[in-house]
Amino acid sequence: MNKTMGILIIVLALVIAIVPLFTDCLANGRALTTADGRSVPMKCHWTAIAEIGLAVPLALVGVFNLTSKRKETFRTLNLIGVALGALVILFPTVLIGVCMNAAMPCNMIEKPALILSGVLVMGASLIALAGSRNFIEPAAA
Amino acid sequence: MNAFQLAWKNISGNAFRNGVVSLCALLLSAFALFTTLVMRGAETSLRLTIDRLGADIVVVPEGSEAKIESALLMGIPARFWMPEENLHKLSAVQGVDVVSPQLYLATLTGAECCSVSDMFMIAYDPGSDFTVQPWLKGEMGNGLRLGEVVGGNYISATDGEQNIQVYGYLVTLKENLEPTGTGLDQTMFLTFDTAYDIASKSKSQAKSTLVIPPDSISAALIKVAPGNDPHAVAIEIMQNVPGVTPIESSDLFQSYRKQMTGLLKSILVILSVTWGLSVVLIGLVFSMAANERRKELGVLRALGATRRFVFQSLLAEASLLAFFGGATGLAVAGLAIFLFRKLIMVSLDIPFLLPSPVSLLVQIGVGLLLALFSVNLAALFPAFKISRQDPAVAMRE
Repeated sequence: MNKTMGILIIVLALVIAIVPLFTDCLANGRALTTADGRSVPMKCHWTAIAEIGLAVPLALVGVFNLTSKRKETFRTLNLIGVALGALVILFPTVLIGVCMNAAMPCNMIEKPALILSGVLVMGASLIALAGSRNFIEPAAA
Repeated sequence: MNAFQLAWKNISGNAFRNGVVSLCALLLSAFALFTTLVMRGAETSLRLTIDRLGADIVVVPEGSEAKIESALLMGIPARFWMPEENLHKLSAVQGVDVVSPQLYLATLTGAECCSVSDMFMIAYDPGSDFTVQPWLKGEMGNGLRLGEVVGGNYISATDGEQNIQVYGYLVTLKENLEPTGTGLDQTMFLTFDTAYDIASKSKSQAKSTLVIPPDSISAALIKVAPGNDPHAVAIEIMQNVPGVTPIESSDLFQSYRKQMTGLLKSILVILSVTWGLSVVLIGLVFSMAANERRKELGVLRALGATRRFVFQSLLAEASLLAFFGGATGLAVAGLAIFLFRKLIMVSLDIPFLLPSPVSLLVQIGVGLLLALFSVNLAALFPAFKISRQDPAVAMRE
């Protein structure tokens, strides 16, 4: 169970890191133009960058789920997984946000993809956490 | 130990087999829910739009039928005009009870004088209107005054203010309509007086003037007198008023209905193929598992378990896997549809409205039943076959 959830978390970490970069407004050629004529990315782009920062530890949680052999490690790893999953949801909704206009690509793809991925990460971590209760540690050599 | 307890123990023992069966149930239930929700959501949306329009017949200039459908359903601004004198001709047609004119306008694209780009605006005549005003009276107690507007569900004013800039003119958003999942959600409703006021002031305040051709209207909404057939009245209009097309409310959005029917057929074919393949795959996995477990089940029989008990425990195992896989698939599909509803509308080019909680629960229940039925159907033959085997032969092999 933990191995399956570990692989799922790694896949979701990749989705969280990659999808926002191609679905934010900047990737779709939209940016704010300042009074002096400069183009500035909108906040959905900064959400996409912040999500990379979350995807890296999340991928490590997945990798360690594959390699760990101790019950306590699984428990700690998956608690971190739940917290990271919650942050994946909070960045596009509360902490940074995305653009106001509901018709923008960040609102149609980036935000829903991140919320769905965050929910799945939390679900996978909780399942792995529950599964770790019955985990039998290998005997020491 | 009963059949379910035994099934539960078996499930925790074989991750690969359980994973494949659950995944099939997950995909099947998720796809079924997705299909049902999207198609029913589109149908509900169309019905709500026709109800909100409240007219028996909509009369538009000849050749503008597709434009009005796109405007009402997808919020794509439409501009077409016909002479105002058509109203008198329409009133004179036998069977017509009330005729109310409407003007279809739009904000400018990317202009600073408009808060929202390309927003569809419907101006109505308070003197004859029977579609917008009854709703307003119910919600607000009175109609709209000069400079006041009502917005679709997606229309919002700027932060902290209730004002929206239209052609440099500040209108006050009084209320938002309930969502319909169509272009009406992105539409602003205003009175003729406000529209003409915006047009006159736009000459000095806007980047470009709002042009409303004199003595012109965009469409006329018709309420048929009680006891008259809307179809007969529509034919009467076609014969007596040249240059216009009457669209009966039942015929409205025909092109979208055809598109949806085509989409539904394709989806049903894909769903049937997926269902067939899933049942075959689950059947194969269960056959392999049953063969692997011949000795184990033989021992169970030798210890006194009846054929019925073995059969029941195998079906209980299938039901548990179908339940977990199906429930997960339904939860993920439900969440995905809720989150990606706007993308679904844009990419499939159909209106969409989420169903009521009761309807959603019914559809989830049906999805779960489909998963349970499919997995049990696939597991029926292997379970029957293995439960009939002789325990002595099974243990020797």
